[in-house]
Amino acid sequence: MKKIFQASAIGFMALVLAACGGGVTTSESTSSSPAETTDSVSEETTDSVSEEQAPLTIGFVTHVIGNPFIQQIIDAAQQAADDLGVTLQVTGPAGAEADAQLKAAQTLVAAGVDGIAISVPSESMAQGLNQIITDGTPIVTFNLMQSSVNAPYVGEKSVESGRVLGAAMLDAIGGASASGQAILGNCFPGFPVLENRATGVQESLSIATGVEILGPFDVKVDAAENYGKWEGLLGANPDALALIGLCAPDIASLGKLKQANPDSAFLGGGYDLTTENLAAIKSGDATMSLGQTPFMQGYAPVYMLVDAIRNGIDIGKPSFLNSGTEIVTKDKVIEPFGLPSITFAELEEIAASPAKSREYYQPLVDGVIANWQSELRPIAEESS
Amino acid sequence: MTAKDIEPTRSLAKRRRLPDEIGVAGALVALVVVVGVVQPRFFDVKNLLNLVANNSIVAILAMAIVFLLATGEIDLSFGYILNLAAVSSGLLMIAGLPVIAAVAAAIVIGGLLGALNGVLAVSFRLPLIIITLGTASMFQGLSLVINRSGSVVPPQEIRETWFFQFFGGQSGFPFPPIILVLGAVFIILSVLFKRTRFGYRVTALGSNPEAARLAGIPVHRVKIQVTVLMGLTAGLGGVLFLGFRGAVDPTTGSGYLLPVIAAAIIGGNPLSGGSGTLVGALLGALVIAVIDTGIVFLGIDAVWSTFVTGTVIVVAVGIDQAIRFQRRRAER
Repeated sequence: MKKIFQASAIGFMALVLAACGGGVTTSESTSSSPAETTDSVSEETTDSVSEEQAPLTIGFVTHVIGNPFIQQIIDAAQQAADDLGVTLQVTGPAGAEADAQLKAAQTLVAAGVDGIAISVPSESMAQGLNQIITDGTPIVTFNLMQSSVNAPYVGEKSVESGRVLGAAMLDAIGGASASGQAILGNCFPGFPVLENRATGVQESLSIATGVEILGPFDVKVDAAENYGKWEGLLGANPDALALIGLCAPDIASLGKLKQANPDSAFLGGGYDLTTENLAAIKSGDATMSLGQTPFMQGYAPVYMLVDAIRNGIDIGKPSFLNSGTEIVTKDKVIEPFGLPSITFAELEEIAASPAKSREYYQPLVDGVIANWQSELRPIAEESS
Repeated sequence: MTAKDIEPTRSLAKRRRLPDEIGVAGALVALVVVVGVVQPRFFDVKNLLNLVANNSIVAILAMAIVFLLATGEIDLSFGYILNLAAVSSGLLMIAGLPVIAAVAAAIVIGGLLGALNGVLAVSFRLPLIIITLGTASMFQGLSLVINRSGSVVPPQEIRETWFFQFFGGQSGFPFPPIILVLGAVFIILSVLFKRTRFGYRVTALGSNPEAARLAGIPVHRVKIQVTVLMGLTAGLGGVLFLGFRGAVDPTTGSGYLLPVIAAAIIGGNPLSGGSGTLVGALLGALVIAVIDTGIVFLGIDAVWSTFVTGTVIVVAVGIDQAIRFQRRRAER
């Protein structure tokens, strides 16, 4: 009886699973609002990847699900899929588990996707991904990379962005004559992109001989843990001039920390332009954040894959497409690639609305993304 | 009805009694059939073999943890033992140690770390779960120190040796060789659990520790032996991961805790101890693997996948407990 009961229960769940799978199509389920995509945008898609081409399915594998910054990337990828008339299947582990991510990619290939876009946080994924490429499924990586993967990478110039952040924060704390402590936090020690950012930040800060650089410390990626870590670091170093994070959750944490410690002199800087981070900057509790154009990191990989598949372009070697660096303070917003100037308020609207984001970044779609082949650079430029 | 009438009935019932694992086996078949009917590509032999191969390490660890669960204990540190063993093995290879020696060293290191868990639990007279709450962080931290928070990637000339070529799938073997290791571990652990005095002592300890002690079973020694076994298996898992993937990262192993324990429990291994089933643990690991894979094949939104996986696990564990409760009531 027990066995029948057990089998029935799990079998029932299997049927629920199948029903969910039959009823929930990937492009509809992952798009925040497909209706928001404007008709004029779809019409402007280039001829080489127009909607009249054969239907394709692209697998989109992120290293974590449920992260606001990653969701911005996923939204942009979905917009690319909608524009190009392809199906996007998004998957990824709830927590950052590289092996689970690799298995997801392999499963997508077995399920018959035509191409894979994937972030690559770990070197242990490289062999499996290269096997997928060798077996004939093209891959484009984004946001996190390993140079040993034989695929183009869409992301920021990580050392250079660190230099920009470090220089800007040094300016904010007094420039070359500043004297005091600057604390670095890394939510995922060992990630090459984050280590590169740290290198860049330290390079810029070291110009001020009076600034003692502490860290990078492991500040964890979970929001609650992240705040706790920063709180501890400030408690141990109450006179620190600057607290600088390298990951998406840091600015929000630093903003809350500033609110909780209004008399503290520290200035907070970090990465990514999620709504929480922008709120912290707007309130003045955080000083600045660098964006890495999540729209580009989501849209471009899908575009490149579709173009490569439909037009027989070989992309099976490491290369780099710069997604650019956005610099945001309360008073100014600097966007890359000569994009139109926008105010902070407009940036907030763009960050909160995939449709507005799509509209704003149309010049990117028509420019850098459409001409991706000529924009590709050697992979070594990512860390130059 | 006389006693003679009852005897043949009882014998017949005994002969007819289905194995305890038939439920989870049926569930596995049901899942495979459902996913495959909706997405026929799921039945592709290569896909099924890769599914087993990709989840072999979880299955191996799940079978090893059956021994611990049978004694009424849980180890939270095995994922980090796996990581530290893999990191150590990789670094030893890079330092020039022959591959086979580095592999053996990693397994021994795993065993020693497991022994540390057991010795601490016995010495402090604390449940293993509490000890391993601490040792998990110790092992993780030690790994980060020796790998300097980076990936350990043996150079190309080492990855062209037989070990990496074979387990990395480059040798032309007709199916992923890690499945062979899974089969071998299953046989060895099954014999150990069902056919040796050690296995008997493990279940006796879990059934009634006091009675086991009074019966002359060396309780402390058995506890340490079980943790050593877990450590050795985790060490084996670490070198298999290194061979399979060609590299090991700082986070390798951290995601194994939930699926390994869930696999054992779904397979019918009680948390309370006193019994265990390796077949169940193996089948439980495959159930989780099919759920994870099926979610992708069926195109279920990534956000829902976590919910679905957790729901199936909760249902399976809940039903198992409810049936045990009913059985205990019926036996009174």
